[in-house]
Amino acid sequence: MDEKLKELEKQYTEVPIPKELDFVVENALKQGKKKRKNRAPQWLLGTAAAAMLFTAGLNVSPAMARTLSDIPVVGSIVKVLTWTEYKVAEDTYDADIKVPAIENLENKKLADTLNEKYRSEGKALYNDFVAEVDYVKGQGGGHVGIDSGYEIKTDNDQILSIGRYTVNTVGSSSTTMHYDTIDKQNEILITLPMLFKDDSYIKTISENIIEQMRKQAASDPDKKYWVIGGGLPDDEVIDGFTTIKADQQFYISDKGKLVISFDKYEVAQGYMGIVEFEIPTDVLKNELVSSKYIH
Amino acid sequence: MKTRNAFQHEEIFVQFIREQKERFYLLAYSYTKNEQDALDVVQDSIQKAMLSLDRLENVEYMKSWFYKIVVRTSIDFLRKHKRLQVTDDDTLQYLTPAQEDVYENVDLEHALDELPLMYREVVILHYFEDLKLADVANILNIKLSTAKSRLYKALKLLKIQLQDAKGETAHG
Repeated sequence: MDEKLKELEKQYTEVPIPKELDFVVENALKQGKKKRKNRAPQWLLGTAAAAMLFTAGLNVSPAMARTLSDIPVVGSIVKVLTWTEYKVAEDTYDADIKVPAIENLENKKLADTLNEKYRSEGKALYNDFVAEVDYVKGQGGGHVGIDSGYEIKTDNDQILSIGRYTVNTVGSSSTTMHYDTIDKQNEILITLPMLFKDDSYIKTISENIIEQMRKQAASDPDKKYWVIGGGLPDDEVIDGFTTIKADQQFYISDKGKLVISFDKYEVAQGYMGIVEFEIPTDVLKNELVSSKYIH
Repeated sequence: MKTRNAFQHEEIFVQFIREQKERFYLLAYSYTKNEQDALDVVQDSIQKAMLSLDRLENVEYMKSWFYKIVVRTSIDFLRKHKRLQVTDDDTLQYLTPAQEDVYENVDLEHALDELPLMYREVVILHYFEDLKLADVANILNIKLSTAKSRLYKALKLLKIQLQDAKGETAHG
């Protein structure tokens, strides 16, 4: 081969291979095998698809909204219920999107803002899903899946923390988590920066998390984080974790502890999934505005 | 008997993917130019392939069959994200040797990246992935003659002496 071509080939193969490749490939093979096993004959697929799409009703009108799950907690008036649910269950296409709604907040503006956010995000997820299915069908079929919903992390007299998750199995089956934490007595939305006197919390929390990562990695060989000393060889930690974002996802636990959450792939390999760290209140006490929420 | 074939195919496929995954990643990356997107393309390609594995008649075609899936998935990805690079005349002019330049290695470093996609993919598949020109044509869904002329043009743009390619293209 020509020298120039050799040089070009060298450049072509010099592209760094990301560490996630193994995981992505194994995961795709695993999912592919599963899909193959419970696959209907080809002719059935089309019929089923046509029939099922009709049943995937898009309930946008409040009148059609189904109350699926109430969370009855004695003593708390504010409650979260499933407002709208989008469901599609076809052979290789499945969507399950539950949109939460907050009720009985006196502060109508806060409730409306949150509910509107939840609703528009839920609808956007559904629209993306439909577009993706259309596209994949045009390609001769494939697998598209989305699972979105919420969990109540904390619901006590003072705090309501809702975590909304989205598992998307189209891309690299990513999982993301978004939290909203409400002070039920004062009816305000709590943000992370609001809890602290100044920005120094970013550093304090980040350092504590790195320390926790190293400790966990040292005691459990299955735990590996993208941080030096986090269980992986140093040269594999290229773009490692250094600091949390000022508005990192968080919630406040029932016991009044601050819990910091990272999305899948954010600080560790995919198999670790969503990762959470509870920050000891002792570490934070000098920086907290008050011990009202976190104690 | 068909099912047994399918399962044999699956075993061979899984092994093939595990062994060659880095090559697929490189190919996907040559289109997406982005790590995360290339990973997505690899994942999508594997899943698509597994679902249509039964339709692969002969395992010998597995290589070009799977490359075709990767190429199509990559191109669809670019199209979907509207990042398909369209090369205008200026760029082509810039890439085409204007006069008999004597100095060599004119920015060889980016030469491949700057090559328009339609030429780049032919070079990558034929030279770097060792596929016969007939297979390249099949993968890219173009005529063999088109593949040949694109390869010639690519080499010309890269200022590579044509005799190096002659052996392959003549019987391709």
